[in-house]
Amino acid sequence: MSVSSDHDVLIVGAGPSGGIAAKHLAEAGFSVVCLEQGEWTSPDQFHGDKPEGELMDRQRWHWSPNHRLIEADYPLDESGSDVGVAMYNGVGGSTVLWGANWHRLAPSDFRVRSLDGVAEDWPLSYEDLLPFYEETEAAMGVSGHDGDPAYPAPMRYPNPAFPIGIAGQHLARGMNKLGWHWWPGSNGMPSRPHRHLASCVRLGVCSKGCPEGAKAEAGRVFWSDAMAAGARLVTGARVREILIDGNGLATGAVYIDRSGVEHVQKAKVVILCANGIGTARLLLLSRSGRFANGLANSTGLVGRNLMLHPVSAVVGTFPDSIESWVGPGGMSIYSMQFYETDASRGFVRGAKWALMPSGGPLSIHSGLAGAPLERGWGAAMHRKMRRLGRNAVWSIVGEDLPNPENRVLLDTEMTDSDGVPGVKIQYRIGENEKRLKAWHMDRAAESMLAAGALETLKVAVTPHSGGHLLGTARMGDDPARAVTDAYGRTHDVPNLHIYDGSLFVTSGGVNPTATICALAARCVQHLIANRRNEKVAA
Amino acid sequence: MSRFTAEQRQVFGALADILIPEAEGMPSATSVGVADDLLDRVANLRSDIVGDLLRVCRVAATQDPQAAIGKIRAEDEEGFAALALAVAGGYYMSDPVRRLLGYTGPERRPVATDAPDDFGALLDPVIRRGHIYRSV
Repeated sequence: MSVSSDHDVLIVGAGPSGGIAAKHLAEAGFSVVCLEQGEWTSPDQFHGDKPEGELMDRQRWHWSPNHRLIEADYPLDESGSDVGVAMYNGVGGSTVLWGANWHRLAPSDFRVRSLDGVAEDWPLSYEDLLPFYEETEAAMGVSGHDGDPAYPAPMRYPNPAFPIGIAGQHLARGMNKLGWHWWPGSNGMPSRPHRHLASCVRLGVCSKGCPEGAKAEAGRVFWSDAMAAGARLVTGARVREILIDGNGLATGAVYIDRSGVEHVQKAKVVILCANGIGTARLLLLSRSGRFANGLANSTGLVGRNLMLHPVSAVVGTFPDSIESWVGPGGMSIYSMQFYETDASRGFVRGAKWALMPSGGPLSIHSGLAGAPLERGWGAAMHRKMRRLGRNAVWSIVGEDLPNPENRVLLDTEMTDSDGVPGVKIQYRIGENEKRLKAWHMDRAAESMLAAGALETLKVAVTPHSGGHLLGTARMGDDPARAVTDAYGRTHDVPNLHIYDGSLFVTSGGVNPTATICALAARCVQHLIANRRNEKVAA
Repeated sequence: MSRFTAEQRQVFGALADILIPEAEGMPSATSVGVADDLLDRVANLRSDIVGDLLRVCRVAATQDPQAAIGKIRAEDEEGFAALALAVAGGYYMSDPVRRLLGYTGPERRPVATDAPDDFGALLDPVIRRGHIYRSV
């Protein structure tokens, strides 16, 4: 086993939070090393702009690591879960395959205990996070339309919104008939060339990897700057344990390279950015005499309160083509009309609807989705395929309240290619969430009909849509009720930090990448500003 | 070298034409090359399903194609999934099929920097209604 020289900071995971941390730290003069189990991707590896795109989406660029079968992934036992998990392991993390929906949490999201009597309040407010939202929106080249009344003013974006297209115009007119809120989509891709990003050309294939180099993928946005500032990124490096000294301080990590050789990477400060499942996995793997239940887990909360945001969908079929495969994909429009709590609906909190491209022939092929032969194939298939380009899809992300029984556990039976235990996902959709989904799908179907749809289809949980990996090491001021403080420092290990989606106290009802980025920016700038107070191993 | 013999292609084609026959103004699977060049293309792109396809062809070689499809579907979930993906995946990569459907596939549609937006007046009622977020 080799031992690498001491760095100021070790980051585990090269996704958006790791990239933001590395960029800030390296530019502030820290020596930074990041261990990433996956590899780089480049635009020419993606097939979304080619006829074979949909064929490849179902394996090499599948959202589920269990389908991709690449070495960087670890197995997930989802037999105890109501939804399949989506993630990507590599430089850029899940932004490689994200749909680039960019949304801030709303002010009420930070106060759900105070306002609605459920879950916990966050240890920070919308206003605390606001400058960091703005900072990361500038970095990511977010495109959107200023002034959305679903958020406090000012609500401005660095790039103008994309055209909403034929599908967006249809749905917008329907929403106007009903008097409901809608707004042009805010997307993590620039409508004009923006720093390291090309201008988006609306291929509509964001969630299968961007062949254009336009989507705000964290490798492109943050790691190029971080490495230019001196950060060292080691790919193919699977961390299996965080090391702790006799004083209970982190000293580095053990990792395995792609030839199977173990290494020790030493560092004065360790930051985990391995996503809401990977970070919990690593903490639970790092057991010792001092931390018998896993690292930073004196509360027993590590791995618990997993929130996945299983996505619901409502499809409307229109009489004529609405070019529903055209991007951004990304969303053309969204609605926050029913985002806030109204107790008369029978549930608390709410959801955001996003109008997404409906994909190509394989995406709408009912035979491939398991329909019987007589309905999914033959002449019936040809008839159904006439809907291609005529389907609009509301993708519905609803609040997923924390439940300690929804959790990440180690799986000693299924291991990754290095023999490190995989993960069991224990996740059930709660009663509040079921009522929320049903109510929102009904309203979304109404809006489709108001927009002129001939028929609608509701899907309560779309396959492999559990891609928002949140809550498994939540932040909070009380060390008895939270894993980290309000700046991501673990309460149990003073020089061990967490900057990823694990920190979320509640999920909100919007896509979380904006908040993951803003939290990471806030946490790392606090660490830098307070560097002299950081307790480190001798 | 081809991964499929002429006999295997014949078996595969017979199954493919049951799944995708000529109907509703659309051509059959084999008439657009699903058992020929498109099968090679699918196999090259998705080598992970070739083993399943060869197994399906073995099972179907000695049976009536309609009966074979029923049997494979009932007894070999992975085999049927591979068959279905190879048939549909190949068929919808075919240029003539795409033309008949009016499907261009993803196309580059850059936004001109000086292009006017396409939603301005539509937003007016939303803006007139004012803020909808919950104050804290």
